Amino acid sequence: MDMSAYRDLFVSESRNHLNAFNELIVQLEGNTSDQAAINEMFRHVHSLKGMAATMQYDAVTELAHRMEDQLGRVRSNEIAFCPSLADLLLEGSDLLSGMVTAIENGEGEQPDATNLIERLESFTPAPAASAEPPLATPADAAPETPAADSPPDEHRFRQSDSFKSVRVKTDTLDRLVNITGELITTRHRLMDRARRYTIPALNEPLHHLSGLLRELRDEVFKARMLPFAVVAERFPRLLRDLARKQGKEISLQVEGQEIELDRGILEEITEPLVHILRNAVDHGVEAPDERRATGKSPVGAVTITVTRDKDHVAISIADDGRGMDSSRLAQKAVEKKILTAAEVDTISRQTALMLVCTPGFSMATEVSDVSGRGVGMDVVKTAVHVLGGTLSIESEPGQGSRFILRLPITVSIIHALLVECGDLTLAFPVNTISRTIELRRDDIFEEAGRKVFALDGRHVPLKSLNRLLNQPPPRGGSPIVPAVVNEAGDSVVGLVTDRFLGQEEIFVKPLGLPLSRMKNLTGGIITGDGQIVFVVDVSTLV
Amino acid sequence: MIVDDAVFMRNILRAIINDKGYAVIAEAASGIEAMKTLHDHDPDIVILDIILPDVNGLDLLESILKVHPRAKVVICSSISQEPIIKKALDHGAKAFIQKPFTPEKVLEALEGLEA
Repeated sequence: MDMSAYRDLFVSESRNHLNAFNELIVQLEGNTSDQAAINEMFRHVHSLKGMAATMQYDAVTELAHRMEDQLGRVRSNEIAFCPSLADLLLEGSDLLSGMVTAIENGEGEQPDATNLIERLESFTPAPAASAEPPLATPADAAPETPAADSPPDEHRFRQSDSFKSVRVKTDTLDRLVNITGELITTRHRLMDRARRYTIPALNEPLHHLSGLLRELRDEVFKARMLPFAVVAERFPRLLRDLARKQGKEISLQVEGQEIELDRGILEEITEPLVHILRNAVDHGVEAPDERRATGKSPVGAVTITVTRDKDHVAISIADDGRGMDSSRLAQKAVEKKILTAAEVDTISRQTALMLVCTPGFSMATEVSDVSGRGVGMDVVKTAVHVLGGTLSIESEPGQGSRFILRLPITVSIIHALLVECGDLTLAFPVNTISRTIELRRDDIFEEAGRKVFALDGRHVPLKSLNRLLNQPPPRGGSPIVPAVVNEAGDSVVGLVTDRFLGQEEIFVKPLGLPLSRMKNLTGGIITGDGQIVFVVDVSTLV
Repeated sequence: MIVDDAVFMRNILRAIINDKGYAVIAEAASGIEAMKTLHDHDPDIVILDIILPDVNGLDLLESILKVHPRAKVVICSSISQEPIIKKALDHGAKAFIQKPFTPEKVLEALEGLEA
């Protein structure tokens, strides 16, 4: 069982115990013979010890154990509770709290408790008659001793721990995104009314509102961002275990761990990434002997690289294994009746590689080099598309494979191009469009029975969006043909539509049944004038 | 049924137990709560901590078996003194799980009950 799942619970429970413990110490100082309070304290520190031991946080276990020992002596009336013991216990509680914070932050390094443990072990209460001098705190003992020149202040608050951050439930963050999205929709509605009823006096406050909403959106998203390291931290162990099972040796390198993504996206891509890594170990990287025979280092290399450009994050998972042979993949597609022999002749290398993402392309039981790759890759592709991202594959036989996930940084509130298509208004997420173009009739010509146009020196096929979506064809011969150019891997297509309506920031909501079954759509939005607009899943149209 | 005052321990135990195909039908954080819950749920197995906020786990063990003699009680505690463990077993506990435990230890104890 993976204990790390209980880390958060451990942290919050420990804090509760420590807070209660601290209160009890103060209470005891007022009435040192309060036996019930002693029992309570014993119980708190005992519980903390047990939890830490279960989680194998040895430093916490050890310190809590020493504190428990002293409280045990008080409980059995061997020694009396005195201010110097209170000081030691408070110091211990602070140190434990520091350890819990380190655990919460995922820091391997724990505050050093050696000195305090020694003092707890050798603790002997001062004779009851003498006045209790406050116990001097050696500078190296506490994790946060004040700097030498700062005045000693017993009631100093530990700002670093308590007040600079708060824990927020992810549900709350999701709700904040929802509310922000609804506010953006409401702003569109207000602007629409202001335009329709010509109310110039609204322009200034609306402009101000737009600025504030942008800021709100950015802050809300910032709060949801987590570094890629959050998912990457489990990969070295995963890869090591998988590799060992197969008798392989693999080194993993992760670059760009610090790059942040929305937690919703991170959550959704974790399993797909595990799939890809698993495939890299199972089918990509060869056994050490095989690698030696081909002149490679016996240790396989898997590299995860995360990079960010404006509103995209690209995650690339590369291995230096045996790679995939696109012609063999194509052949297999014919055997599986996924493609006809004629189709195979026309597909590009890139398209052939993407065949591994076809559902049913391979069975989990087959373990040959080519076939195994298909395991779960259709799931990976779907997961990436649902997030509004794209998946592409590069591979060279003998050299290795590279899977590239291009993902939006945030979900649900995105920039989109609105287009008119027959009776529908459709939204294309801007990150799925490589460009828009307005063609004249004579820019379009026929090639091998297809309509194409020239773009940057290559011929790009045109498809009618209206026809793909069963919409009536564009009305009456406009001289301008608007097209949205989409790229997926190395295949490019221009989708012809009726009219561009402009770019807008939109709040995408998931579609309910039965609309969610429509394969060309990923969601819906409500525009300022109350119209429903569907968000297009470009990958299904290209 | 799990009786432990620490949410953390209850959660971990529940995760381990569910993972092995047993169902946790009730939880209690104190002796009083345990007696109430016991009455409502009639569990086959009770996993019982010894240090509880209101009563001694050993006393609770006796009370449980008095009203619910069919229940198999497993003591789960960090107390490792032989006399206490022995006393618990003498008083009708069927097994003992030493805290801190591993999932395997918990499973071992539960499987021992079925044998």
